[in-house]
Amino acid sequence: MFKFGTMEPERKRLKISDCDVDSWEVVPVLSDELSQDVELVDAFAAPILDKKQTSKLVQQLNTLHPLTSLAHLKRVRACKNKDSPHALEILICSVNDADEPCHFDCSNAGLGEPFAVKIPRTPPLTRRQFEQASEHWPTCFHEVKQVTAALRGELFNAKQKAQMRDYMMLAIDSAKAGKDLGMSAVGAVVVDPSSDKVIAVGHDCSKDHPLQHAVMVCIDLVAKSQGGGCYTYEKYPGCKFNSPDLENKTPQPYICTGYDLYVTKEPCVLCAMALVHSRIGRVFFGIRSEDGAMGTKFKIHTRKDLNHRFEVFKGVLARLPLISTELKVKRRRS
Amino acid sequence: MIAMGTEGVCGESFYPSDEEIKKWMDKAFDMAKDALENGEVPVGCLLIYNNEIIGKGRNEVNETKNASRHAEMVALDELRDWCELRGLEVKRVCEKTVLYVTVEPCIMCAAALRLFNLPVVVYGCRNDRFGGCGSVLDISSANLPQTGTMFKCVAGHRAEEAVEMLKIFYKQENPNGNPNKNDLLNYVTFLLL
Repeated sequence: MFKFGTMEPERKRLKISDCDVDSWEVVPVLSDELSQDVELVDAFAAPILDKKQTSKLVQQLNTLHPLTSLAHLKRVRACKNKDSPHALEILICSVNDADEPCHFDCSNAGLGEPFAVKIPRTPPLTRRQFEQASEHWPTCFHEVKQVTAALRGELFNAKQKAQMRDYMMLAIDSAKAGKDLGMSAVGAVVVDPSSDKVIAVGHDCSKDHPLQHAVMVCIDLVAKSQGGGCYTYEKYPGCKFNSPDLENKTPQPYICTGYDLYVTKEPCVLCAMALVHSRIGRVFFGIRSEDGAMGTKFKIHTRKDLNHRFEVFKGVLARLPLISTELKVKRRRS
Repeated sequence: MIAMGTEGVCGESFYPSDEEIKKWMDKAFDMAKDALENGEVPVGCLLIYNNEIIGKGRNEVNETKNASRHAEMVALDELRDWCELRGLEVKRVCEKTVLYVTVEPCIMCAAALRLFNLPVVVYGCRNDRFGGCGSVLDISSANLPQTGTMFKCVAGHRAEEAVEMLKIFYKQENPNGNPNKNDLLNYVTFLLL
């Protein structure tokens, strides 16, 4: 058991502006399906010659070419070209649907010459995708407020960011302690956000054991805090744990369920998958790493084929020298 | 048997013979059977160097409350202790060590095997839930210059038996015949292997 000291002296040595909560942004690391551009497919559309026939045409086409997998699209759009004699255009079918010859007789039905358009294949999931999709064809959008806020960097207020900064400063202190022992300068902290209690602080120990990365150390320190664990850390004063209040805590903590991890650098495959197995709640990291598994090489936290997924945010204190120099050195080398 | 992996990465011609594979996989299956009889996860795992067992492991997640304590991770710790006791360099020993395991290593363990620079892994059945040697992700041959070295895989030795043991284990988990959704899903996943 130990007390986490205050971080005031440390912070004074650093440039105030780099710790300022306005100097860095917390950016979510989203799944590919949320972060990628809208996928477009080819389709046919035609101008509606007589506006009064619109609802009849929609009915006819819905029977002949239902938009089954394209339910996010509107059937009719206003003509983009202001000089066109026709006010409305109607979506006939996607090119895939037209593999069989299209039975719709455009000229008899009261449509003008059909033309090719690009339409979004799947419903937009973010406002950015919605805006991209809408440039091609009007699309329905069910906005998830939290995703939009996260993408704008508005998910966390200044007070929450100040708290993130304090936790990340603990991770940095531990990284420095590790560095003094000849380890890689990486540190991590596990926090119980329901009580704001720090459960574990650890740094990289891979010089002594190739798998003892800062995150792996923290996972074992959390196990220790629950009466388990399998390594000793007496040699490493920078690695410590705090037992949660087991008496009053219901339910009993189970591995890393509900806990937040703060780590100076993006976790590698080993650490990322260990966090999946440990059921971590959320992960906050400073800067990306070359073999990172939470955005750089893989996005292990978003995979639907794994049995646990979690939110990951990057950019915490990303401008601080200790966090950002190591990568710069590596970049220069490569 | 299907051999996978990337040529020319783990160097020269270090590769176990068919006899060695049979001998040590039989041993790994004996371990898995023992585990099953004791109500533990039926996975057998051995690290062999110079025709000698230098590490073995079984899943220790429950007793350590550390979800990373898979059989492979425990075996790698034994390997370190074995080297330390004999004053041998871990890296040198690992270059000539083969892992024999009844089920494909998970993504985490595959990364761990890379970080130990193990050249060859022989396994029984695929692991469709977590597999790191191709089933979910292929960590064994991924381009990860900061994460050790790639390794070769020899897959499929007594695969049906390995699946059968896992099926029995997951059935035992639900003695009431009232499986929760997850257990049922796991069971179905293994049926489909």
